[in-house]
Amino acid sequence: MKKTFSLLLAMTVAVFSGCKQSAETPSGGNNTPAPAAKQLTIGFLPKSKGNAYFVSCAKGAQRAADELGDKLIVDGPTDPDPARQNEIVENWITLGVDVIAASCENKEGISTALRKAQAKGIKVVTYDADALPDARSFFVNQATSQGIGYALMDEAARLCDTNGEFAVITGSLTAGNQVAWRKYVEERRAAAYSNMKCDAVEACDDLKDKAQSETTALLSTYPNLKLILSTTSLGVPGAAEAIKQAGKTGVVKNIGLGLPNENKRYVHDGVTQGVILWKTEDLGYLTVYAADAVAKGALKSGDKMFKAGSLGEFEIQGDNIMLGKPFTFNKDNIDQFDF
Amino acid sequence: MNTDKHGLKKNLLRHETILFVVLVAEWLFFDVIGHNFGTYDNTCDILRHYCEIGLLALAMTPIILTGGIDLSVASLLGLCAILFGKFWRDAGMPIPLAAACTIGVGALAGGLNATLISWLRLPPLIVTLGTYSLFRGLAEAITHGVDTFTDFPNSFLFLGQERWLGIPAQAFVFIIATIFFWLLVHRTTFGRSFRAIGFSPEGAHYAGIPLGRRVAMVYVLAGVVSAIAAIIYTARLGQAKADAGTGYELFAITAVVLGGTSIFGGVGSIHGTLLGVAAIAVLHSGIAHAVLPGEMAGMLTGLLLILALAGSILPKMISGLRARKSAPRLAKQIP
Amino acid sequence: MKKYFRELSVAAALGILLLALGIFAPSFFQPQPLLSLVTREAPTLVVACGMALVIICRQIDISVGSMFAVCSVCAGLLAAMHWPLALVLAASVLIGAVFGAFNGALVAGLGLPSIVVTLATMVTWREGLRWLRQGVWVDLPNDVQWFGLPQMAGQWTLVLVALTILILLALAMKHFSVGRFIYAVGSDAEAARLAGIRPRLLTFGVFVFMGALTGLAAMMNTIQSPQVDPNSGTGLELKTIAAVVVGGVAISGGRGTLWGVFAGLLLLACISPALTHLHVEAFWGKVIQGAIILLAVVADGLRTRKQRN
Repeated sequence: MKKTFSLLLAMTVAVFSGCKQSAETPSGGNNTPAPAAKQLTIGFLPKSKGNAYFVSCAKGAQRAADELGDKLIVDGPTDPDPARQNEIVENWITLGVDVIAASCENKEGISTALRKAQAKGIKVVTYDADALPDARSFFVNQATSQGIGYALMDEAARLCDTNGEFAVITGSLTAGNQVAWRKYVEERRAAAYSNMKCDAVEACDDLKDKAQSETTALLSTYPNLKLILSTTSLGVPGAAEAIKQAGKTGVVKNIGLGLPNENKRYVHDGVTQGVILWKTEDLGYLTVYAADAVAKGALKSGDKMFKAGSLGEFEIQGDNIMLGKPFTFNKDNIDQFDF
Repeated sequence: MNTDKHGLKKNLLRHETILFVVLVAEWLFFDVIGHNFGTYDNTCDILRHYCEIGLLALAMTPIILTGGIDLSVASLLGLCAILFGKFWRDAGMPIPLAAACTIGVGALAGGLNATLISWLRLPPLIVTLGTYSLFRGLAEAITHGVDTFTDFPNSFLFLGQERWLGIPAQAFVFIIATIFFWLLVHRTTFGRSFRAIGFSPEGAHYAGIPLGRRVAMVYVLAGVVSAIAAIIYTARLGQAKADAGTGYELFAITAVVLGGTSIFGGVGSIHGTLLGVAAIAVLHSGIAHAVLPGEMAGMLTGLLLILALAGSILPKMISGLRARKSAPRLAKQIP
Repeated sequence: MKKYFRELSVAAALGILLLALGIFAPSFFQPQPLLSLVTREAPTLVVACGMALVIICRQIDISVGSMFAVCSVCAGLLAAMHWPLALVLAASVLIGAVFGAFNGALVAGLGLPSIVVTLATMVTWREGLRWLRQGVWVDLPNDVQWFGLPQMAGQWTLVLVALTILILLALAMKHFSVGRFIYAVGSDAEAARLAGIRPRLLTFGVFVFMGALTGLAAMMNTIQSPQVDPNSGTGLELKTIAAVVVGGVAISGGRGTLWGVFAGLLLLACISPALTHLHVEAFWGKVIQGAIILLAVVADGLRTRKQRN
């Protein structure tokens, strides 16, 4: 057995030392400005794979990549371990992508890997959820966290006549941008709607069924509840179903961040009064255009406007490329959208 | 008994050799179809990404050898990670002291498992199922789900992110752990007693082996290793969160079983576990570098696991059929 | 009384919890929310019954969550194609049974350890489903929800179906030979074989049955809402194994009843809504769940220690 073991060990060493000689240069990550026809490889990192929101973003991203003639790699974590995004970014570094566009689950954690990428000459932009500012060149911002939080609270207050109790359904307690949105919801409430009270915050772990059971419990615990507010797109349909089954359609209002397709039914039935979001495909489209421009040097810090293909011009605030304002999908307009 | 042992050892060796061949084949395959896969940079990355899982798998091996199992290692990793952050940030301890306290907590937590399993003789699967929820729940409760710990000093982050003497810093910890566990399992009487306990607890007891102490030892060790893995994880990520390491226990168990250790105990090796971890790590990295969908890695891991299991059974089945002896029996009880 | 001590103690724990809720949070006992809660747990009860059988048979199946997700999505897709619901139900059960047969073939046919086999199948089916669906939900036509019945009727139907399965299985385990055989194989497969039972065939059957029950539960879950989330079924294996163990079924096989499982499931299912009603923050849920599992198994251990001494 000893002999075989040393043989195994020797072979291992041989294999691993053999790889030292392999070519190390990444495929196209160089700093010199490239001619416009050069094909870039863009790594598009969602918060999680298999999430309809990001699938929609990726669609827009792919469209942009096709228009630009770039290669798009979409990969994301399939399980909730926080280190997965770092692993993917680091794999892309060795793979040799030109630019990374990331939506960050853990602001500080992912910045570790993104800084490494930047050090290797790979450009980084973020979208949907930002990293630390020194870890990326630009943040494609669909709307500021403050904008989103305030919009949610304003809509909630409008539906409750600025008076009443509401509850919040969040995705996971630890997701960075959800924490930020909740903070601004609370900030807006304290500043402008002191007659409204938030009874509870429940997490649904991004599971629609769990959102439903949490809402059922909330409805029976707080009989004076007037509204359910979800900061995750998985929350709104689950809460809507719970409200409907409890027979409280219209009595308890339901709003939140959500995709039109998942909520059309409930909006038409009057269970959900509206969902707030932005054009996710446009977000992906803009992100890829920005990523491409940053890699080619066309978009630099200090620029005030950015033109993205067929979408037109976008304002840049500091290092945030603004997609625009959040958009409310309600009975009147939800059928016009398909994502 | 002697020939049986020799035959069994031969079988195990064959399993590991096959696994080694599979590993080499994987490597070569991904080197060809992947981009920049076979580079030194990537090898270092693979080491860094799978260091924590590797540590957990090393600690899991003696546990499974004794016929037990520990589902709580990854939850303990999460708990230790946030406690480490709390010790450093909120209690103001310097990093080495915080690390020492964290390892202490890990040992205590492992001790909880050990007490319930070895002293009260409760089934390890259920005890660690309970602590799996308990530890993760404590981590979430302490941080209220939202608190995370960041801004660690660069000297600490060096452990997870930089290279020392050309190889990733955490690799040194992993190498030391590997040597320790290899010696423990293969060269000491403790190691022999683990196998004996796995083969037959009664027999081991009558042979004079202090069952309680040995079994307790492996679970406490796992607690310590989880804590060390938590510290390395935090250094690698630069952030400590309550959901750190989610799902790692299944990876660890898969690696151990892939490596030829029998889930019922009594048979297994550390080098097998290492090969198992390497096989999974190379698979995941290769799929990423070949720009294939990430889900394929998971599916192939499952397939690999079944093939490995079936492969270890097949020779027995064939010889059994040939001799027209009794057909394969049902597997023994679960741990 | 002594024979059912374990089951009664779980029922007592449940009783104490309900009593506490009655005193501190009587809002828990409103009929409609309770019915919704119970309806939501009905599919889990069905799966837990199957899991109990598997564990009594001295095996384990941690792939139920993935099987559940795949069956849910398949049922949803078929329903969206306007198949008659009876056929969709049959298809879901059949698909589940096929998955179960796969597990069973590896465990009973090849003699592989069930924990590792089902670990492998769990990962494979889950990743495969993710790959195919990419998280996209299945939209169901309007008449699928509650089988087209009004909501209350639909909810009561599901609850009664789950209870019927529980009662039938509990009686079958006690009075039918196959039930006795499962206990026998779980206690000592070799002795059972010598007694003329065929352990491998029985084990295979138990896994197929587990798969079929999972398919049924998936259908029961699908008709509860107008959309199917491919992530449904996450954590189902933990839930059901915990319920089975808390309910007094021994992990070493051969012991336990479905009534205990029922009590165990209710106890664990009540934790989350109880926390909400008692205004306790949600993250204590996992701690309490872990503590209950440990208490249950410690109680078992102390009892066996006493018996041994």
